[in-house]
Amino acid sequence: MSEYSEFVRQYLTVAIFAAVGIGLGAGLLGLGRIFRPVRPQEQKYLVYESGVDPVGTGWSQSQIRYYIYALLFVMFDVEAVFLFPWATRLEAYSTFGLIEMLIFVVILALGLLYAWRKKVLRWV
Amino acid sequence: MLAHLASFAWDAPSVDLHALAPEIVVAATLVVVLVIDAFTGEEQRWAASSVAGIGLLVALVPVATLAYDGATRVMFGGGYVVDDYALVLKALFLLSGYVVVLLSTNYIAEGDYWEGEYYQLLLASVLGMMVMASARDLISIFVALELLSIPAYMLAAWRKRDLKSDEAGVKYYLMGVFASAVMLYGMSVIYGYTGSTLLAEIAPRIGELVTSEPIITLGIVFVLIGFGFKVSAVPFHTWAPDTYEGAPTPVTAFLAVASKAAGFVALLNLIYVGFWGRHDVYEPLMWVLAALTMTIGNLIALRQTNVVRMLAYSGIAQAGYILAPLAIAGSSPEAADQALHSIVVYLLIYAAMNLGAFAVVMAVARKTRSAEIDTFGGLFSYAPGLTVAMSLFLFSLAGVPPAAGWFAKIGIFQALASAGDTSGYVLAVVVAVNSVIAFAYYGRLMRVMWMDDVPDGDTTPIRVPTSITAALVITAAVTLVIGVVPGVLTHFTDPINLLALGR
Repeated sequence: MSEYSEFVRQYLTVAIFAAVGIGLGAGLLGLGRIFRPVRPQEQKYLVYESGVDPVGTGWSQSQIRYYIYALLFVMFDVEAVFLFPWATRLEAYSTFGLIEMLIFVVILALGLLYAWRKKVLRWV
Repeated sequence: MLAHLASFAWDAPSVDLHALAPEIVVAATLVVVLVIDAFTGEEQRWAASSVAGIGLLVALVPVATLAYDGATRVMFGGGYVVDDYALVLKALFLLSGYVVVLLSTNYIAEGDYWEGEYYQLLLASVLGMMVMASARDLISIFVALELLSIPAYMLAAWRKRDLKSDEAGVKYYLMGVFASAVMLYGMSVIYGYTGSTLLAEIAPRIGELVTSEPIITLGIVFVLIGFGFKVSAVPFHTWAPDTYEGAPTPVTAFLAVASKAAGFVALLNLIYVGFWGRHDVYEPLMWVLAALTMTIGNLIALRQTNVVRMLAYSGIAQAGYILAPLAIAGSSPEAADQALHSIVVYLLIYAAMNLGAFAVVMAVARKTRSAEIDTFGGLFSYAPGLTVAMSLFLFSLAGVPPAAGWFAKIGIFQALASAGDTSGYVLAVVVAVNSVIAFAYYGRLMRVMWMDDVPDGDTTPIRVPTSITAALVITAAVTLVIGVVPGVLTHFTDPINLLALGR
């Protein structure tokens, strides 16, 4: 009997955790519903997009050229994050560290080479 | 502070290049395919698939030499282990990757999509699976999971002008990321309480906290549930049918076989090495997941009219069979041994028979342009070879000798019985009942193929491309040979042992 109650207690943690997670979300939203005044206006149901009125459908095409640059930036940003701590203690890591970092940089550079060959870097 | 920094000493970790050779070969192939794709024009587009296929086969050579050598190689403080278990599974991932390349060659070349990137993503995903087989550290496991998942999300949405394929990619991506988040949360709890990410160090500490820290249960459950999504266990299976239907068929085959096997590999690593002392936590979880997964998978499969969706639900049910031995893995060392072997054997056989079934579906769809069950009507009258092959794979999936599936299923029953307690026997009965249910839908497809009339009266033979024929020959031969002489397979799986590392 005690073995089973121990087991149930273990899983009770999981159940309590789930209940608190669901209860917190539902409770806070429900609390808002009780306290807030309800004055429906058509304006309030518009999709908010930086204060500009939405025009057309949600499936319109958008320009992705900034996005590609953002991706390339993130790639080299992450490279820099790894390069800085390595560069401060370069002598400690010696040849092994140098070779490892070269492999890392070359593989990332191949990605840039690929983007260039695929004409991603051209501003269209 | 500065003095502390100046005295900072660092020893280069010993890197065993032989042990890492399979991964290095696949990574090098990836780089070669990338360079080929960047510097060749339209007329050399075929090169990418050839190089990818050859690279995967070449990577089998170091796997074979390592297996012949037989020594267990441990690297990075125990975080990366190359042993018999890892090698058998690496061979599985490489071979199924190769068969998927064979299946993809015509499909991708005939579609209006980029080829180079397809094979790069495929190779990256295979690389992640190979790392997963060796990973014995929470962070390595997470990195391997992301390396195998992120390319798979993109592969699922490969037909980007097709709304169904977009749906497949988005659903898979959202559910996959959600599962990763749940799993990472569990990992953070486990790391917080044990102070280590190494599975071998987690095992003893997690055992000491049996009664004092109930929150550990939360961590274990969250991590295992994260992989429950990956292996599409019910109730975390909702992405699987839509993703399998919408994704390109070779990618579906890849997700249903290799990606699922990788999820099971991670579960085995975690349960057998990291969470070994806590069978009170993972056994009931696995019991419920296994029983739900096989029952619901089979019941929904009964009602499917599309072969790919039917195979998707049958795959969910098969995942339930594979999960079943984990429900008794902790009851005794013998049961643990039986469970491990039965799961690895099942994964290997499942890969061959399921890839074969998808190869037949692809070959037939080249003519009928559809995967509805009705379009398989009268297949025997104009494609007898494909019909016999499909029947072999369906027999195998249903567990009928002489196809290999029976041996896999016997292993599951043996493992469940070896526990010798009620939970094992009850689960064995559930597996048996489900095997009977599964006959209904495998049998229905078989009846349509052999007995029904051709729906549109078009009996021109199907021209099967060489690469798909090769894939069919490989998978059919494996299915048949293992079914008749199971010793061929057990010769490789018998030396497997995961427990030694956890102690």
